[in-house]
Amino acid sequence: MAEEKRILYEHLDVPDINTFDVFRQYDGYTRFEKAIAEYQPEDIAKMVMDSGLKGRGGAGFSTGLKWSFVPKDIKPCYLCCNADESEPGTFSNRYVLEKNPHLLIEGILICCYAMGIETTYVYIRGEFTLGKKMLDAAIKEAYEKGYLGKDVRGTGLNIDIYTHPGAGAYICGEETGLIESLEGKRGQPRNKPPFPAVEGVFGKPTVVQNVETLCNLPFIVGNGVEWYTQMGPTYADTRSDPPTPDPNTGTKLYCISGDVNEPGVYELELGLTSTELIEVAGGLRGEEVKAVIPGGSSAPILTHYELDTRLDFTSLTLAKSMLGSGGIIVMNETRNIVDCLLNIMKFYAHESCGQCTPCRWGTPWVRDIVQRIADGNGRKSTITRPKFGVAENGRWGDTGETEEIYEDLDLLESVANNIANVDTMTWNTICVFGIAVSWPAVSYMRKFRPEFEAAIREGKLVTLSVAEATVPPEENYAYQQRFVPKEFADL
Amino acid sequence: MAFIKLNDLEVEVEDGTNIVEAARQHGIEVPHYCYHPGLSRPANCRMCLVEPYVFFPPAGAIVPDRQLATGCTTTVRTAPPDRKLDGKYDFIVQTDSPRVKKAREDILEFLLVHHPLDCPVCDQAGECDLQDFSHRHGHDKSRYLEVKNVPPKKDLGPDVLLYSTRCIVCTRCIRFCEEVSGSGELGLINRGSHDEIDIPRSHDGTPIQVLDNKLAGNVVDICPVGALISKDFLFKSRPWFLEKADSVCTGCSVGCNITVEYKPDGVYRLKPRFHGDINQYWMCDDGRLGYHYVNSDDRLQLPLKRVDDELTPTHWADALTVITENLSEVAAEDIVVIGSAQGTNEDNYVLQQFAHDVLQTTQLGLFGQLPGEAHKFPQFTIEADKNPNTAGARTILGSANGDHVVLEGDALWEKVSGAKVVYLVSGAPERPLEAAEKAALESVDFLIVQDILPSEVTELADVVLPGTTFAEKDGTFTNSTGWVQRIRKAIDPPGEARADWEITQQLAKQLGGEINYHFAGEIALAIAENVPGYGDATHQKIGDAGIKLT
Repeated sequence: MAEEKRILYEHLDVPDINTFDVFRQYDGYTRFEKAIAEYQPEDIAKMVMDSGLKGRGGAGFSTGLKWSFVPKDIKPCYLCCNADESEPGTFSNRYVLEKNPHLLIEGILICCYAMGIETTYVYIRGEFTLGKKMLDAAIKEAYEKGYLGKDVRGTGLNIDIYTHPGAGAYICGEETGLIESLEGKRGQPRNKPPFPAVEGVFGKPTVVQNVETLCNLPFIVGNGVEWYTQMGPTYADTRSDPPTPDPNTGTKLYCISGDVNEPGVYELELGLTSTELIEVAGGLRGEEVKAVIPGGSSAPILTHYELDTRLDFTSLTLAKSMLGSGGIIVMNETRNIVDCLLNIMKFYAHESCGQCTPCRWGTPWVRDIVQRIADGNGRKSTITRPKFGVAENGRWGDTGETEEIYEDLDLLESVANNIANVDTMTWNTICVFGIAVSWPAVSYMRKFRPEFEAAIREGKLVTLSVAEATVPPEENYAYQQRFVPKEFADL
Repeated sequence: MAFIKLNDLEVEVEDGTNIVEAARQHGIEVPHYCYHPGLSRPANCRMCLVEPYVFFPPAGAIVPDRQLATGCTTTVRTAPPDRKLDGKYDFIVQTDSPRVKKAREDILEFLLVHHPLDCPVCDQAGECDLQDFSHRHGHDKSRYLEVKNVPPKKDLGPDVLLYSTRCIVCTRCIRFCEEVSGSGELGLINRGSHDEIDIPRSHDGTPIQVLDNKLAGNVVDICPVGALISKDFLFKSRPWFLEKADSVCTGCSVGCNITVEYKPDGVYRLKPRFHGDINQYWMCDDGRLGYHYVNSDDRLQLPLKRVDDELTPTHWADALTVITENLSEVAAEDIVVIGSAQGTNEDNYVLQQFAHDVLQTTQLGLFGQLPGEAHKFPQFTIEADKNPNTAGARTILGSANGDHVVLEGDALWEKVSGAKVVYLVSGAPERPLEAAEKAALESVDFLIVQDILPSEVTELADVVLPGTTFAEKDGTFTNSTGWVQRIRKAIDPPGEARADWEITQQLAKQLGGEINYHFAGEIALAIAENVPGYGDATHQKIGDAGIKLT
């Protein structure tokens, strides 16, 4: 059985770790001191690049690469710490904020040193009142001890941290929406390019990093790149010749919720499968796994056929899903997928910022269609049409059979794809909220189509058995993997 | 200049042009709502999606970009020689590929899901972008079965109504109030599909601030749908019944380019017309709503003469005879001729010629509206001088046929109070008289007033001659910055009113003078010949864009 590998959370349960003195006893701030004593800023940036650290906020973009996009000659440059953790099913950052805020401050200090940043804004979700209180107290302490403020520890660095509470909008977790909100405007994402690395807070270059990403920095600096890269798989990107390494290094704070016996945050190496994760979380509650949401509610769902998919950035991307923020929601056989989708769509329809057309009016539309199906008012045509699927010759095409037409399912798929097309991965919206809506809508519907059809046919929600409810992979292109990732070491 | 491939066309456009403008320059329509050339570009309507092409190294070929790009924010630049696409193009873009067409259809479908489809009762129908683009690019039927949002109708200010149901939240109006007028009255309330445009309100819904800035009317023009509606024009006419004439606003000396929209029975509305150096895309509400005097029932339609201390309607021949009789025995130095800053250059030129050649007086004055308030906005200016042609009238009265001093203000009224006959061309609607002016005019033995409406000036007159407004005549105005621009006749003058220069010319003929013009353009030729600086100011050369005096 897989073991927890606690690095970020190692000292989380130590009493009073939120105070400077206790934190100091557990190597607190020594990594930062090591960084300024032993390394030049460029060395830190190179270490982060070499470590293969990927942003933990959701997109999984390489942190080192992101830092390299920041122009070196434009000052001031800002660091924006994204602590607006609002993806349903995700709750790892709040523990760091509430229990070990000094770790975040140390991460911020290392990032500021590496990038020559003097001002950091921590944008905290408005509901995290305790987290903000603890972080504010820790920042105050760090100022008193001389780790923040003018001339940090006599090094000549000036580093300030300001905390800013959000006002309760999901979209303010999107980096440009966050920046707009931070600047005091309506929380609506910006058009990209320019990316925040070039033009961010107050029009200056800005590094936007998730709490978890920043918390990784002290350990990369403290223990070295080699130690860090040993954790997690490194895949080979065979699209280029010779293959380039695609690292999924480090640990991830998996937030496991749903039908498991011991839900909670588990820090594990990247690259474990859903089955292993469920074991770690005390095993499944119920008879069998019906579905697993791998990365927060916006990620496409995984069926019981896909439980051996490794939960890391690359594997999930290739499985047409995403690791996202690591919010894993497990569902057992009692869950109705139509009901789940309705719940998620209600959330997204409510949280759409309303800036651009497809999302503003598409998301409530999708919600209304799902609502209608769940209410038993879904439409089904009286005529049939040729069924497409894997034909006799083994290729995609007309199977020679006929299928019934469920108009509302076609409409749901079409409307969701018009917001953001999940097959081509293109979106007509300004930000990726669009794809966060259509991804669950389309994947739930394609993978659990029998349950949707039953709801329309019976005129009420019907929970089918796992085997009946799930479309097998060979019958559905929603599963199609682009290729199976190979570990770099195996090549 | 960048060399781009636009669909099948190979065209050159200037660096920094966006795709919407580049396509427009070459006759291709890229539909858009939120983009307005005079405002910032949030790219929120997503209607102007186009398909740019990029070089994709793995395939070694130029392929459509993975994502469609918004045409309003995608600008064209000259690429360095090694980055040219296909060896020669700086940019390749498709505005009518199947992907683009599909995206447009989808966006239009979303725009229409909550739209009430009340075109039959909507003021905007006929000039509505939503209507036009739906017709050209949209679906033929709706797939929307759910309940539509019905946000309330709102009264935003003195002249603007908001039909929220029709709003597509393009935020043009908000950006206008932020960027051009700088007053920021408008904002978005609520979130997501419940987004509404609104003014600041207290909790019980009473407005804290209303949309009453001097440029508020422009939000109605730039609204691409029928959401923002002018109360002044509401339910007056279908836009397709309106004829249009290019003209210049007479509200102040800025000289905003406008379109007079009219039917035979009167002027229905004024709309701003683009001029890059004068008014951009905008005009102020004083000008926009200040046309009502043209349609007034009180307009002077017949000449009036004073009989037993009362102004009585008469006919032209009689009025001219009365004037001739009174003028015949008066010495030239007892006559003052006063031109109007509301009149065209042509009116003033004929008047000047009449004074110089026929009356042989050198006592010329200039009359017009009293100065008002000047307003300065971030991107717009309203001048204090409320006459459209002060500069032109002053030059033409003064410098044609030798240098004269054109009297204005106190000097003029001093001269008037000593005069026996005064010929005053007014044309300024609702012009109040100040005490000194009134006293001076009362002391005149015989006062001829040429005006468009009964006013304090006409009350003092012995003979009143009915003139015309800007909407009823051709001519040119010179604005405060030296732009000479044309106004064009839209409607016929009421009753027997005539163009001012025609009246002056008739009077000159009556007195034996030889002024003989047939139309305003002919006078402009004479101006070009005789007035220093106006050498190019013929109607042909002025055209639509105007010319700037050097």
